[in-house]
Amino acid sequence: MERQGNGQDDWIVGGRRFSSRLLMGTGKFQDSETMVGAVLASGAQIVTVALRRVGRVSREDDMLGPLHRLGGITLMPNTSGARNAAEAVRAARLGRELGGSPFVKVEIHPNPHHLMPDPIETFEAARVLAAEGFVVMPYMPADPVLARRLEDVGCASLMPLGSAIGSGGGLATAEMLRLIIRDARIPVIVDAGLRSPSEAAAALEMGCDAVLVNSAVAASGDPIAMAAAFAQAVVAGRNAHRAGIMPRGGGTALATSPLTEFISGEGT
Amino acid sequence: MTPQLPAWLDPSPWLDGREPTAVDVERALGCDEPGPRELAAMLSPAAHPFMEVMAQRARALTRRRFGRTISLYAPLYLSNHCTNGCVYCGFASDRAQPRRRLEPSEVEKELAMLKEMGFEEVLLLTGERTSHAGFDYLLECVSMAARRFHGVGIEAFPMTTREYALLAEAGCSGVTLYQETYDPRQYDRLHRWGPKRDYLDRLYAPARAMEAGMRTVGLGVLLGLSDLVFDAVCLLRHAAHLQRIHWKSGITLSFPRLRPQAGNFAAPITVDEAWLARFVFAVRIVLPDVPLLLSTRERPEFRDGMAGLGISKMSAGSRTTVGGYDGAEPSTGGQFQVCDERGVPEFCAMLRSRGLQPVFKNWDSVFREAEAGGHG
Repeated sequence: MERQGNGQDDWIVGGRRFSSRLLMGTGKFQDSETMVGAVLASGAQIVTVALRRVGRVSREDDMLGPLHRLGGITLMPNTSGARNAAEAVRAARLGRELGGSPFVKVEIHPNPHHLMPDPIETFEAARVLAAEGFVVMPYMPADPVLARRLEDVGCASLMPLGSAIGSGGGLATAEMLRLIIRDARIPVIVDAGLRSPSEAAAALEMGCDAVLVNSAVAASGDPIAMAAAFAQAVVAGRNAHRAGIMPRGGGTALATSPLTEFISGEGT
Repeated sequence: MTPQLPAWLDPSPWLDGREPTAVDVERALGCDEPGPRELAAMLSPAAHPFMEVMAQRARALTRRRFGRTISLYAPLYLSNHCTNGCVYCGFASDRAQPRRRLEPSEVEKELAMLKEMGFEEVLLLTGERTSHAGFDYLLECVSMAARRFHGVGIEAFPMTTREYALLAEAGCSGVTLYQETYDPRQYDRLHRWGPKRDYLDRLYAPARAMEAGMRTVGLGVLLGLSDLVFDAVCLLRHAAHLQRIHWKSGITLSFPRLRPQAGNFAAPITVDEAWLARFVFAVRIVLPDVPLLLSTRERPEFRDGMAGLGISKMSAGSRTTVGGYDGAEPSTGGQFQVCDERGVPEFCAMLRSRGLQPVFKNWDSVFREAEAGGHG
């Protein structure tokens, strides 16, 4: 895949430097070969794995083994399945034991149907885990106030949702995402809801530092080709953001009746 | 006395007696937020020509939500003692069926065999609460299963909230309890004696399980007992009601179809495969985020085709007799006849050949330990 590669546009999270701005989820694939193929095609350097899919002993549907063999990947176990902070904290500790990574995606959705993250439990788990030295990457509602709260308790990044997990609803939260990006001092990664590469590009154009996708790749017609397409879109979106996107609208066209004639230009 | 349907369940506002037309079906398929009316339209004869459209939609929705995976679980029959007189059931108390329950050492043995087969989720089944297999027995079995399995569910008799809470504490995270039929009059006729005659006690049990903290409640109707559309709409209403009041628990739905049982009970309503398939598709379209289950009651070719077409979770290699896994028991005389007798490796190979990943572990006991206050 295409990369900047010169290190000038790397981003840093949890003290590690990354060039790829595409993070990958690993669920929903038809087999581990396709999952690994998609991860490779995506160029992702951070990959998240649900702990509920990880066994204590290696087996066919185990997610960790194939990823460990890949090398060069930062594993980010996620706590998907946790209903509250206590469960997420325990899952995170187990994840560190099994995966050997200090990264954790705190994912707490008490409602198993819409899978919306619980802001209160997420905050509490993030606070506890950050204090324990985890690199905490919270999956969160696109709420600018919660974003600042999570930053204040020591999260390494923010992972607001674009829309509901697996919904393909795209950047439904764009207005809130802009506020989060404007004020954040840590990386902002749009996680969940993206359906197509153009939406990933739009997130990067907006100024997000990275995006995380899973369903959009795994449930596509050709997951490996789609992973590569997302990789290209993310590079294009980031480059567009850096280049400076032309302002929306004409901007300089003049109305026939000037509004500012009353201003004299003289001091008082 | 036949109980009144509670207002939250009553399907009559959506069943106005007018037979849906093709226009109604098209409208239902184009609806952004399909509900009971749309479900009824998709289950009507007018929807039969839309079978392929519905199947395509069901697959797309299933893939988007559950990916290209099928979760697997195994049933474990603990006891066939029963005091109920369910006219359609092979375990009804008037059947000349040898009765027994698994003793703890046998439970351990069966659990070990299921673990050996690769399962990480087990569903423990019993008949009605009896002195042979009552609550304490079930609680002990749940504790044993929870030591070996990440996921433990039960399908037994209605319990109190307190009992469900004790089971949850012991490691049970799911309760399956089918109403069988939501038609109170038909329910009354079919359940001839025993505690199960209490329609409302059974109806409210899933809510009690959720109140007690169960993560998942499985609902279903035994298809063929009563008017299909009536039961289907009630099932949807029941699920919606539970989702509204207990937002931290999930619903799953199963599609058991009445098959020949001991006692040669003839189903009042014939449910053919085409209708069953359309029911699954319709439910998937109406409830895109609910796990839908299919058991080994159905024949292999049907199960193969339905995997991923709405269905997201399946049992495999099942034995429906008490002590069925260690091979010492005959495979006949189960609660229902297993139509898909393939072993787990063969079933998994079929899934893979259809581009679906068999997932044994989709849960972790770490969540349960946290619930119980755990250690560390």
